[in-house]
Amino acid sequence: MSLSSTKNNFKLALVVDDSPMQCRVLGVLLKEEGYRVFTANDGERGVAMYIKYKPDLVLMDINMPVMDGYEATRKIKSFSRTSLCPLIFITSMDSDQAFIESIDAGGDGILVRPFSPEVFKAKIKSIQRISDLYGQVKRLQQEQQQDAELAEQLMSGVIESRNYALDRIGIVKKAAALFSGDIQLTALGPNGDVNILLGDFTGHGLRSSIGAIPLAETFRAMTKKGFSLFEIITQVNRQLHNLLPPDLFLGAAFVTISSHDASANIFNAGLPDCYIYDQFGEIKHRILSSHPPMGVLPNLLDNSKPSVVVVGESDRIILISDGIVEARNDVGEMFEFERFEKATKQGVLAGNVSKSVLDAVNDFCQHMPQEDDISLIDIPCSGWQQTFTVSNVTKDTLINSRKQVTNAESPAWTWNLKLTGKRLALINPIPMAMNQIQDIEGNAEHWQSLFTILTELFVNSLDHGVLDLNSDLKDSPEGFVEYFSERDKRLQLLDSEFVDIQLDYFPFDLGGKLLVKISDSGEGFDYRKKQLARQTESHENMQLSGRGIELVKQLCQSIDYYDGGRAVEAAYVWSS
Amino acid sequence: MTIQAITLADNKGLKISISERFDFSLHQQFRDSYLNYNDKGAEFTLDLSNTTYMDSSALGMILLLKDHADKLSGKLVISKPNDAINKILEIAQFHRLMPIEV
Repeated sequence: MSLSSTKNNFKLALVVDDSPMQCRVLGVLLKEEGYRVFTANDGERGVAMYIKYKPDLVLMDINMPVMDGYEATRKIKSFSRTSLCPLIFITSMDSDQAFIESIDAGGDGILVRPFSPEVFKAKIKSIQRISDLYGQVKRLQQEQQQDAELAEQLMSGVIESRNYALDRIGIVKKAAALFSGDIQLTALGPNGDVNILLGDFTGHGLRSSIGAIPLAETFRAMTKKGFSLFEIITQVNRQLHNLLPPDLFLGAAFVTISSHDASANIFNAGLPDCYIYDQFGEIKHRILSSHPPMGVLPNLLDNSKPSVVVVGESDRIILISDGIVEARNDVGEMFEFERFEKATKQGVLAGNVSKSVLDAVNDFCQHMPQEDDISLIDIPCSGWQQTFTVSNVTKDTLINSRKQVTNAESPAWTWNLKLTGKRLALINPIPMAMNQIQDIEGNAEHWQSLFTILTELFVNSLDHGVLDLNSDLKDSPEGFVEYFSERDKRLQLLDSEFVDIQLDYFPFDLGGKLLVKISDSGEGFDYRKKQLARQTESHENMQLSGRGIELVKQLCQSIDYYDGGRAVEAAYVWSS
Repeated sequence: MTIQAITLADNKGLKISISERFDFSLHQQFRDSYLNYNDKGAEFTLDLSNTTYMDSSALGMILLLKDHADKLSGKLVISKPNDAINKILEIAQFHRLMPIEV
């Protein structure tokens, strides 16, 4: 599409002059340059003609009856703010004053009589060249604006509207450019854990947005399949490194808030400190950046892993990007951490962190233009427990339906994976198992429960069987952290130890059964004693550990240990 | 002049100094300052002693310079950032990628 208004291939010129003679002379010269020409004999008519014909060029006399050239020019320029229609004054007033006033009124040039036809034509050409350039810039700007709007739509519509628990997680987002380099993602894992990401891509605008879609896809898909936070971080880093140019990367904080462990995993790669506040607005922990931003290095640095933090029920995790602390006021001061922490404390006490921080930043900056994106995520640490309930009615129908099917003695399929030594330390078999099930049997809501069963049983075999870790450690917050550091240490030393997972699938008329068999190379344990101990414990006593296996019991029809506690068999039954 | 590039004596390396703001507006100028310096094993020094502000695109530009140095089997050293700039480098954990001389 051509840009300037080449209506019928003619450019339109408007000549405003009270002398019909002058109009005719200029008209002839303009026609020789390929213009169609309209004339007006006073300023007021000139303005009316301008509105009617929207010409590509205006020639304006200064002294005219009714309305003079300056006044007419001011009017015309006030109508044409968005397009450049060049306007040239033609006058015999050869004074500095005339020159200055014509430019002040909005004229783009002045031509003083007498002039030769050649000089006139050269002037017209040069002014038209500038006007064409202006049109080109304007068009590019509009295209860019449209692209940015599209990206913005994609970002908010496709990426961020799919976020989980927006009613409970407070999210502030104030973009500096139309399109923000900041990205906020939340997603629910199959076991009820919630993963949260606050990211800050280098720069602003469209350029910083190209990584957003693959990032969101990876984050969501891996969370949904139950990959651990560390596995997600590893993959995100690798993906962004492969995808983005070297100077484009993502500062990011990743959080997993666990549904039944009263703990959070937090990894900070290139963002300001992540905070954990208690209910009194005091800072309990800071998680400092411990890794270069995502996408800088091809692989994560050795020994980088999320911090495990014990959180209380009324604690909050607060993530921010640097836009808040670097926001400036009119004397060039930055908002800084001190003001942020104070505003957050007030927000925690008032029960609205997002509002308190945003108000404080706005108060501080007044009307200064915003240089960087401002984002904050406020995550409550309680309320994430997922309640698994299996109604008795369903259980009854299941048992009945099972009785009808007597020939289901051998499984429809069996899947088996035995991980040994180093592989056991590195590989998470649960997403693989879930993939198998979903590939063969399709997607279904109730696989969530199965994911929980598999995870709990596998972790038990690995942690307590193979690694011989004592879960009593997890009863105190200090021990909790110690537990995970000891776990990492022992994982490094694995050699011939193994965990063996087998799934047997039995279809029923109205559902099916999955037998989960997990065995390990550990020492086993006295499961009878353990069961007895658990029965004597009060149900009110919410411990940090041991709740996993209780959950599995609720979800399974049966769970049996044998081989001295080295093997477990759980039967998961469902109706369709 | 916000960017100054000085070739060190004996062609031992290139020292790039940046005064005041180190941000996206310097992108082209910054690249031009080292792109023609292609000696094998060259040592690049990025002098930030007069830099007062740095944004995340500057971090990206530093990574591009590091790429350039790596391709020449050379080295990049960041020299004398002020406290505010050092804090930004620290958040980005750049000391794990290149030496930073305070």
